[in-house]
Amino acid sequence: MGSYTSPTLVALAPASMHWFPGQAAFVPAGSFEIAVLAGQRLSGSPPPAHVLMIEDDPAIAEMYRVQLEHDGYRVTIATTAEVGFATVAERAPDIVLLDLLLPDRSGFEVLESLNQRFPNHPPVVILSNYGEPSMIDRGRSLGAVEYLVKSRVTPADISGQIPTWIELGRRGGQGES
Amino acid sequence: MTQAAVLLQNLAAAGFVALGIAIAYRWYRERGRAQAMLALSLITLALVAALGRVGDPLHPSALLSAIEVVGFLLSGYFVLLFRNEFIPLGTFAFQAANLLLALSIVVGIIDVTVLARADPLINQVIGLVLIATWAIFTGEPIARFWLASRRLPAVQRARMRFLSFGFAVLIAILFVSVLGGSALQSPTAIVVVELLVLAVVPAIYVSFAPPPLLRRIWRMGEENELRAAIQDLLIFSPTRQVLAERATTWAVRLLGGNAGFITDPDGNVIAHSGIDPVGAAHLMTKQAADPTGARRRVVVVPLPMTDGQGSLAVVAGQFTPLFGSEEVSQLKAYASSVSAGLERARVTERMAAIESNKTQFLNLASHELRGPVTVIRGYVSMLEGGLLGHLNERGRKAAVVMSAKVSEMNDLIEEMIEAARLEDGGLTLRLVESDLRDAAREAAASVAPLLEPTHRLDLDLPDRKVRVNIDIDRTKTIIANLLSNAIKYSPAGGSITCHVRARAGIARVAVSDHGLGIAPEDMHTLFTRFGRVITPETEHLKGTGLGLFLGRQLARLQGGDITVISAPGKGSTFTLHLPSAVHSEAPADGTPAGAAKHIDGVGAEERSRTTLR
Repeated sequence: MGSYTSPTLVALAPASMHWFPGQAAFVPAGSFEIAVLAGQRLSGSPPPAHVLMIEDDPAIAEMYRVQLEHDGYRVTIATTAEVGFATVAERAPDIVLLDLLLPDRSGFEVLESLNQRFPNHPPVVILSNYGEPSMIDRGRSLGAVEYLVKSRVTPADISGQIPTWIELGRRGGQGES
Repeated sequence: MTQAAVLLQNLAAAGFVALGIAIAYRWYRERGRAQAMLALSLITLALVAALGRVGDPLHPSALLSAIEVVGFLLSGYFVLLFRNEFIPLGTFAFQAANLLLALSIVVGIIDVTVLARADPLINQVIGLVLIATWAIFTGEPIARFWLASRRLPAVQRARMRFLSFGFAVLIAILFVSVLGGSALQSPTAIVVVELLVLAVVPAIYVSFAPPPLLRRIWRMGEENELRAAIQDLLIFSPTRQVLAERATTWAVRLLGGNAGFITDPDGNVIAHSGIDPVGAAHLMTKQAADPTGARRRVVVVPLPMTDGQGSLAVVAGQFTPLFGSEEVSQLKAYASSVSAGLERARVTERMAAIESNKTQFLNLASHELRGPVTVIRGYVSMLEGGLLGHLNERGRKAAVVMSAKVSEMNDLIEEMIEAARLEDGGLTLRLVESDLRDAAREAAASVAPLLEPTHRLDLDLPDRKVRVNIDIDRTKTIIANLLSNAIKYSPAGGSITCHVRARAGIARVAVSDHGLGIAPEDMHTLFTRFGRVITPETEHLKGTGLGLFLGRQLARLQGGDITVISAPGKGSTFTLHLPSAVHSEAPADGTPAGAAKHIDGVGAEERSRTTLR
């Protein structure tokens, strides 16, 4: 091959071209460290944070589970909005990672229902394949603490941000419109 | 003078006879009930005029006089029937008219037979009664026609008015000549009256069958409006549907019809005006079954379309004189414009549909690709991070390559989405005042991984800020794309320069390479969507062909552009132009000894350099 002379350089360089970086959340450098810190903190006495992932593609869900469990989180996967609802009601997760295209209804509808039925629901982060500004605006106006395009972030990026999002949710950064 | 009067009397009679014959002939050529009524009226009038010149005026024959009286009254009655064809009379009015006709015929016959030798005063009174009857039969219709003509197109309006005018003059002459009695028996009076009567002949003739020249003159006022309408039809109509509707409205107006419609080759009504689609379809079937019978009410001309022959039809209105060959040929000429317009709209719509399909496909494909890329990218990042177990040296190298390739793939997907968004009109720029040098620096850093040891990338920036109002991320992407193209199309290595300057209100980023260059004949495809220049040297290079297309579109959206100068075998310079922010500082151009940054394929760290070419 030989088109890249320095492996470390490639690894450290940011993705070469972001056609659209400003509109989905830009993942700050060093997020990996936060993940490590979170993992350390969670390995102590307090119970690990519980992440609910509402995602219908098992390959994607499984991939995130590998990273999140490695970082010390407890992960529940719901493949439909209905199961997701039941999990929020019964098992009170600390954070919800929500896909937008679900078999039974859209993620936006899930978020709307959550706002109505559980006003104090845990913070919701939208993970989608769509990064259209209108969808991002809609997600944010419905109270999502973050809107990310899946293909632009790595599982480690997400895992690393989770404590921040939980903190944001605690401070009431969600539920506003 | 007496001879002149006699001559004129004969001439007037001859004029009416000629009128009668001409109209009978016209009617024979184009038969219609309403036209028949008008023709009968004028023919009987001609008969009366002719009979008036036969025999001895001092010793009139009773039979001839009786025929004259009956003919005269019938000629008025036929005008009323003509009106009845357009605006049906009420039952009562119709019966009253019939009674009046019968009574006046009886009175008239008595007058010329039994009372032939009676007191002239009685004759005069009876004459007045007969003329009044005739005036009622003709006066009411001509008043109505005159009023109705106001809403009609020029030709119909003129025809109606000439008809009304002709009969009005006849009524006036008849009254005046009876009331005037012996006072009008002087040859001079007869000359004047007969001249007026002669003038009526052409007026009535043109109302019945106007010559083309006259029609053109009448139509002149409308011509400009029509020309503009046809132009609209050919150029501006947004969709085929709207175009067809406009065309129908104008066809109706053109012919002064009551309604109109257009059918496609399958007989489906695609546009209609003044008639519902069901009625239109019904008329079409009736027309197909009995072409001559329906011609009276509907004129149908073929409308050639690519998929067959449609029709443009206009339905006669209440006041519209019936359609003749002139109307048909006029509508035919108009139909060819309509055909061309519809064809153009069809092609435009088809192209738009293709474009939209392409955009939709691009959109769908790219979003669908994001899912798998997410999974590959996620696992590769975990492989690199050691989450999935320890990799040996070769494994780690492979993971790095996979990671780079997945990023590349991701970039291509993002390009496709951006292109789709651009064409959907869903693209919004976020303009912020920024320093163009920052964009260039970051773009250069982002392409550093693509550099090979043989490449050298020089970043030549001015000392002062280059202020521009831009979408910073997109501008970075444009520059990064120009740089990555420069790298890609310099397979043998060489120096690549990114030169940023501002002058005269324009900020420029010029990216130069010494690579393959572009042949002049390939220049036109450079900035088109998916337009890649494929030559033996470049065919192995990968790309979507979207980069420059997007770059130029995004630059233009920001008020700038991308230009190119290239020589095959020598290299290319692509320049991004952007308008400077209003309160930009003094241009830094002319002092090229700015701190230039230099990035090379090995280190990627920035070093200060002062040398420039």
